[in-house]
Amino acid sequence: MDYFVDSFFAALRLIFQFDPEVYRIVWTSLEISLTATVCAALLAVPAGVWSASIEFKGKRLLRRSLNASMAMPTVMIGLIFYGLFSRRGPLGELALLYTPTAVIIGEAVLIFPLIMNLAMTAVESADPRLLPTLRSLGASPAQQFGLVLSETRLALLVAVAAGFGRAIGEVGTAMMLGGNIQGLTRTMTTAIALETSKGEFELGLALGMMLLLVAFSVNWLLQSADRSAG
Amino acid sequence: MKRAYWLEHVVFAYGDKPALTIDHLAISAGRITALIGPNGAGKSTLLELLAFLIHPDAGEMYFFGQPVRREDVLALRRRVGLVAQSPYLLQGSVMDNVELGLRLRGIGKEQRHRRAMDAMERVGLAGFEKRSVRALSGGEKQRVALARALAPAPEVLLFDEPFTYLDQSNVRLVEQVLSNYARQSGNTVVFSTHEQVQGIALADESISLFAGRSVGAPLVNLFRGALRNGVFDTGKLAIQVPRALDQGSHLSVDPEEIVLSPEPLNSSLRNSFRGRIIMIAEEAGRARITIDIGEKLNARITLESLQSLGLELGKEVWVSFKATAVKVF
Repeated sequence: MDYFVDSFFAALRLIFQFDPEVYRIVWTSLEISLTATVCAALLAVPAGVWSASIEFKGKRLLRRSLNASMAMPTVMIGLIFYGLFSRRGPLGELALLYTPTAVIIGEAVLIFPLIMNLAMTAVESADPRLLPTLRSLGASPAQQFGLVLSETRLALLVAVAAGFGRAIGEVGTAMMLGGNIQGLTRTMTTAIALETSKGEFELGLALGMMLLLVAFSVNWLLQSADRSAG
Repeated sequence: MKRAYWLEHVVFAYGDKPALTIDHLAISAGRITALIGPNGAGKSTLLELLAFLIHPDAGEMYFFGQPVRREDVLALRRRVGLVAQSPYLLQGSVMDNVELGLRLRGIGKEQRHRRAMDAMERVGLAGFEKRSVRALSGGEKQRVALARALAPAPEVLLFDEPFTYLDQSNVRLVEQVLSNYARQSGNTVVFSTHEQVQGIALADESISLFAGRSVGAPLVNLFRGALRNGVFDTGKLAIQVPRALDQGSHLSVDPEEIVLSPEPLNSSLRNSFRGRIIMIAEEAGRARITIDIGEKLNARITLESLQSLGLELGKEVWVSFKATAVKVF
């Protein structure tokens, strides 16, 4: 028990004495996950809003595929992109393996179906009178798209935040594509998984607390956004 | 009379369910037209068609003489304004909503503001511009939607059931707004209602809709029954109809064509029934008499005739009408 209590206080000291290593890892994590989220959201939100607003053949199939790919194990994404990025792989020449870019790509692909699926749900659960109203007011298709985005913005924000939550908390893709390189691709999750096993329990605990802090903050923000929408 | 709309053999269905089947329908420009019919008659669907929100599955539609083409809908939609029965307001303030149509048409901020304020004033919402739409009552929401439709000054204003959710004082106001919009500015107004009286009182013209068809008959004295050999049998009453009619399960009798008399008439009127007066009411400056002749039948006569015939509640009276006063559909 002493071991746990001592480590806990040591971890707090790392956080409150602004240990550069802890904050560098936190920063790397945020940078990679935020970039991945922005990239994924830029494609997934418009794709979701668009496919929810129109009727087309294969919409059900799309929905099913999105649902299925949401269940994709993170380590599988890591494995597939490892194959693509490794030196003998088809994209080996780009030398992306073990770079932040590789992790960003992997995480963006990981969270794309989640964001798109939630964005579709956001638009589909919007008021059915919204689109007819916009059309009767003379909105062009582009104007309709913009106004649907703005009317469902809170639900879309929830979709994006859910994507960010999954990206920052996953370990499989970051580990396989990033390789836990100090100062470059060492994220909170890979550091917790790998440094702890090297005996750095306090560091792992400190990073765990920071990870929880980020996760809880996002959750809290979403709940207050939800309240102001209701 | 110039036509705002002309529909020819228009058919529209929701999936397999036919919603509208219209042979011919004209809506005059610069006048107020009421679409009258019971719930489910296709009034809202027709208004959506007139607002270019839906496209006919078959048939031709003309707007101010020009054929309506799918690729022109955006430009056409900007020439009409629609107020839905239960309107959707976008998040934000009353002003955000009222000026939206103007914003979508790319009108500058100053002019937008001025025209939106003017529209709000016309519907009695002056001073509401900063209010959040969430805090509005149902009637206020409907007036915001009316101001929103009016602000871009559309050539045609379409209004679905304007009087359903309004209290009495606002009914007068909205009637005035619709009337001014057509009579002072020369615009076309089309509104739907399930109330015959409202429709006839406010409108210059009326179109009756029944089960997705325009029936060319006022929908009072409406009976269901079977037609056989020139006689329509409601189960309680046998009504003579023109020989040429051979199909239809509904019949309506024009209340203006009904003749009331204290004695049986010796005339060419083919339908004559004895009944008892069960209600007398004043309606749009005339008398509406309800007579029980086995079925309840409404007749509309002048107040002078009411006096000179000495009609009173409970009195027996003879009811006569021509076979041609009857519509079967």
